[in-house]
Amino acid sequence: MPSHPLRVAVVCSSNQNRSMEAHNILSKRGFDVRSFGTGTHVKLPGPAPDKPNVYDFKTTYEQMYSDLVRKDKELYTQNGILHMLERNKRIKTRPERFQSCKDQFDLVITCEERVYDQVLEELNSREQETYQPVHVINVDIQDNHEEATLGAFLICELCQCIQHTDDMENEIDELLQEFEEKSSRPFLHTVCFY
Amino acid sequence: ESTRMASGSERTGVASQFFAGTEDAAIDMTTSEKVVDLLNQAAFMSTDDKLIALKQVQELIINKDPSLLDNFLDEMIAFQTDKSIEVRKFVIGFIEEACKRDSELLLKLIANLNMLLKDESVNVVKKAILTLTHLYKVALQWLVRSKSVSDMQEACWDMVTQMKGDVLALLDSDNDGVRTHAIKFTEALIITLSARTPSSEIPKKQEGDISLDKIPKDHSYIRYDVLAEEGKSALEQLLKFMVHPAISSINLTTALGSLATLARQRPMFMSEVVQAYETLHANLPPTLAKSQVSSVRKNLKLHLVAVLRHPSSLDYHSQISTLLLDLGMAQGDIARCVPTSAPTRKRPRHEPYNEGKRIKMEPTLIEDDEDKEEPAPVVAPKPSSSMGTQSAIDITAEFLLPLLSPENVANLVLISMVYLPDIMPASFQATYTPVESAGTEAQIKHLARLMATQMTAAGLGPGQKYPPAASKDPIIIRKVSAVSLGQAISVVGAYKSQVAEETPHAKKLPEPIMPSAQPKVLGSSGRKKVFRLADVVQPLSDSHLEKLTNMAVKRILQSEKAIARSGMSHVRVKLLARLMTQFEGTMKDDMLRFILEDIRGRSDLAFSLLYQEYNQHLDQLPSGSLDSYEHCLFTLLSGLQERPEQRDGLFTKLVLEAPLITQSALEVIRRYCEDESRVYLGMTTLKELILKRPSRQFQYLHVLLDLSSHEKEKVRSTALTFIKRMYEKDHLRDYIEKFALNYMQLLVHPNPPSLLFGVGEDTEVASPWTEETVRQCLYLYLSLLPLNHRLVHELAAVYTEAIADIKRSVLRVIEQPIRGMGMNSPDLLLLVENCPKGAETLVTRCLHILTDKVPPSPDLVERVRDLYHKRVPDVRFLIPVINGLEKKEVIQALPKLIKLNPIVVKEVFNRLLGTQHSEGSSSMSPLTPGELLIALHNIDSTKCDMKSIIKATNLCFGEKNVYTSEVLAVVMQQLMEQNPLPMLLMRTVIQSLTMYPRLGGFVMNVLSRLILKQVWKYPKVWEGFVKCCQRTKPQSYSVLLQLPPSQLVPPSQLLSQHLR
Repeated sequence: MPSHPLRVAVVCSSNQNRSMEAHNILSKRGFDVRSFGTGTHVKLPGPAPDKPNVYDFKTTYEQMYSDLVRKDKELYTQNGILHMLERNKRIKTRPERFQSCKDQFDLVITCEERVYDQVLEELNSREQETYQPVHVINVDIQDNHEEATLGAFLICELCQCIQHTDDMENEIDELLQEFEEKSSRPFLHTVCFY
Repeated sequence: ESTRMASGSERTGVASQFFAGTEDAAIDMTTSEKVVDLLNQAAFMSTDDKLIALKQVQELIINKDPSLLDNFLDEMIAFQTDKSIEVRKFVIGFIEEACKRDSELLLKLIANLNMLLKDESVNVVKKAILTLTHLYKVALQWLVRSKSVSDMQEACWDMVTQMKGDVLALLDSDNDGVRTHAIKFTEALIITLSARTPSSEIPKKQEGDISLDKIPKDHSYIRYDVLAEEGKSALEQLLKFMVHPAISSINLTTALGSLATLARQRPMFMSEVVQAYETLHANLPPTLAKSQVSSVRKNLKLHLVAVLRHPSSLDYHSQISTLLLDLGMAQGDIARCVPTSAPTRKRPRHEPYNEGKRIKMEPTLIEDDEDKEEPAPVVAPKPSSSMGTQSAIDITAEFLLPLLSPENVANLVLISMVYLPDIMPASFQATYTPVESAGTEAQIKHLARLMATQMTAAGLGPGQKYPPAASKDPIIIRKVSAVSLGQAISVVGAYKSQVAEETPHAKKLPEPIMPSAQPKVLGSSGRKKVFRLADVVQPLSDSHLEKLTNMAVKRILQSEKAIARSGMSHVRVKLLARLMTQFEGTMKDDMLRFILEDIRGRSDLAFSLLYQEYNQHLDQLPSGSLDSYEHCLFTLLSGLQERPEQRDGLFTKLVLEAPLITQSALEVIRRYCEDESRVYLGMTTLKELILKRPSRQFQYLHVLLDLSSHEKEKVRSTALTFIKRMYEKDHLRDYIEKFALNYMQLLVHPNPPSLLFGVGEDTEVASPWTEETVRQCLYLYLSLLPLNHRLVHELAAVYTEAIADIKRSVLRVIEQPIRGMGMNSPDLLLLVENCPKGAETLVTRCLHILTDKVPPSPDLVERVRDLYHKRVPDVRFLIPVINGLEKKEVIQALPKLIKLNPIVVKEVFNRLLGTQHSEGSSSMSPLTPGELLIALHNIDSTKCDMKSIIKATNLCFGEKNVYTSEVLAVVMQQLMEQNPLPMLLMRTVIQSLTMYPRLGGFVMNVLSRLILKQVWKYPKVWEGFVKCCQRTKPQSYSVLLQLPPSQLVPPSQLLSQHLR
């Protein structure tokens, strides 16, 4: 088992649902975890599919919450958005954008292939400095509450298994193969360097 | 981050954080005292706290007061033997920071880093590699800057070089993560040991980093050329590493990224990089799982795009674009990645080294472009192998390009089919994209390159023969001529002696600061009397040992039922198999006998034993013999073969599941096939072998082919049935065909070769060919013939050479197959058309067979007509197709035809009169019966003797069904009207009258008409006329009375004679 706890980042598009659900569970299980979004804006469902609520990453969850309460409390209570923001507020103040964070991680888990691509592009476009490796794994999760919960458990189990390996880098390949079989979904996996 | 502090005001913060309760003292402590205190505390702290304290110390002695660094170095290094991996890793980080702060510390610390590089924990080793990646540059920079290099420095650099070698060797480590780090180290090393060029992309933070171009060529210790060589060799190692077939997905990903970095920062490697990407794309490691393939491909795409964006990739855009297309990127997206500032087709002008195309492949040339003082090597520098590969691929690709015709490609595809695996590999499944531009020039070029890459990797192709292009490089030649040769030689010589001088003085390498060893807790070391087995037992005698062994094995063998009841049979089976392969001699035979006693019940034991034997054989490769395995397989198969019939297919199962079929086993299979009661099962098994064991399929096929001429009819015909089915398979077709033709070819020998008789029967001495031996040579051939008509020409060739006896036999046996081919077969028609000399009888026979039951086709008639008119004017050819000829042609040929042997003539008439075919196809005849008879009458007597003609007419009269009285009446009528009268007219009249007496009235009429035609002027006819009158009297009297008196004499004489 590695002597230091894994530094984990969970990344989805808006740092609201999937990454926050996983953030919630992982931090409860004692992981050194942070969460991010890769989108240019934070988007939340609006009154119609083509009218999302768009915020920038500076907006706090609290501000979004009040904004939505003001706009249509009933709608956003019913579709669970307010509940989600409530949860998010308890975890941290505001969504964070992955591209703006220069901290280093051991493991980055993304929640859909597009996000994985963006993370890879970001990490590869940075200048290499320390050559410290970071493993990036994609776990496809649909962007709804139920799937986010299920996905978060899968991510959590994955992190626990990785944390318990004697030599993460040597065993992660095999571990992922096993997980693929068990969960019967494919994981993209690569390594980048800081 | 929390430990990083600015100096000054943080002082109290540090103290208060860790020395709660001693605040007063802390405030007044000097930095040095603080460090001492922290270090003392750290020794007894838990790992986490220890790390925090040590980080504090590091901050203090490196950033706050570097003058303390040297003082506390030993104390800090002491922690490198700490139990905690994290602490050891921290020490490595400390070494890095310290050396970066003060390069002189390398002298002291490099050996410690070397120790840590060999730490038992991979995490420590990895950290050490990371640190060496940075310190290598620091050390190089430091040496380059030093005005004079001390012995100590030299020794230090030697150690760095040695460590560099050690890390490169870690590319072969067993640990994936270690390899990953080694790759990154290699990447950085290559960057450092190659020159920056104006088109190099330089990361901002590495702007000050040292690289080859900054190394002076006159340095007293660092050798520019040696470093350049080391850089090249590192690149080679990286490229070699990448093509390892079992490379892990993460290593591959890492290496892909490293290559992209290299291409962008050192564009002179662009060619190697693109080449490596191409190779990889065409050869994704088969060990990758499906999702790994997707990941790798995604990475490849990402890095290719990054390379594409670099201006120096211009020359490789077509290759890169093709790859990106294959990876599923849209053409438009690719175009967007090409830098818009990309200049014209010309190479960028600011790139001074890109004068000729080859120079791109020769990065080392850059090193001394401007420095003419430098000794230029007389011999071109040993070209890197990657460069050799580059040109070899180019040459092979050029060689292949014109060969990729649609036909060749189709053949390649067909041939490759045989080698396809049963299951589609994940890498293929993921990489397969339909070829959009198939057949275009670009695509063919791409294909040629792909194949060239594969061939070069396998050491094939014309590219292999060429020496690497470097020796021919005009640029190098120019350089050599620029330097006086003599001078160059002397310099090279000097260089050599210098090296020779240096090597013997192995410098003392730096020694590590010996950490004050933490007392190791040793296990209790009190000595007690230890129990040793050897003291209390005595060896058994060999014979006793053997006896016991035998008994033990027998017990296991006999305990079959008891163990089966306990459900542990599989353990017993495994145990027996393992044990048995350890022993030689009788025990094995006992066991085999035991198995064969109840093979059905003990088959699992049989299989286990067999596999175990094979395993044993594999273990002893390459020297091990197969004898033991072979004996086992042979005994089992023979046992099964000799047993009375069983229907459980155990024989088949054993054959098909045996890992290897040996020669002796194959003989048992053959014997099995020869057993008439099992021939079908035996050959089914053989067929399975042929189809499922491609590596030796021809060996198995040979057995089956051999059986196709077996003396037993059932064996033979079954073999032929199986072979015919296999003949449909393209990859077996050639072999079968060759075998059949070789066998047939035996017919040209004057006596049958001994091959045709069973082994041991030495009948070679002048035994004549018999019908049986001839047939033996033809069975296989003749059954293939209807499947492949082309083979018929081979028969003709053999036929012409064979002796008469064989020819006769051949003519007898070909009926079935030729009829099977039918007269529409283009090859048969061709045979008729060509009719090789000596094969006329064969062709005739074929014609007969073909037209025996059906009328000839126009095509066939045409060929025969041609043959007859232009090449072989033998009228016999015409017979089979006679009904297909024109009326005129038949009439023309008649004189020749009726002169032939009577049996043949009879056949001709049968054909013409339609009296031969069961289905009355006489309508096909070009001549009506009447016309035929008339034609016979009109044959020119100079062309044919009268006797033949008469015989021919007799044949007509023989066919009473055809030549009815009506037909004959019409014939007579027509003949009579001819002028002059045909010679045989009256003969026919008489004959008709004899056949049909009721024609009397008609005949009288004829006779009267003849009188009008002055019949007495034709002597032969007149003779007949008189005869006829004589026969028909008294009816004829009325006719006679019509004769003019002058002509009445001869008939009256006749009549009177008769009256008398």
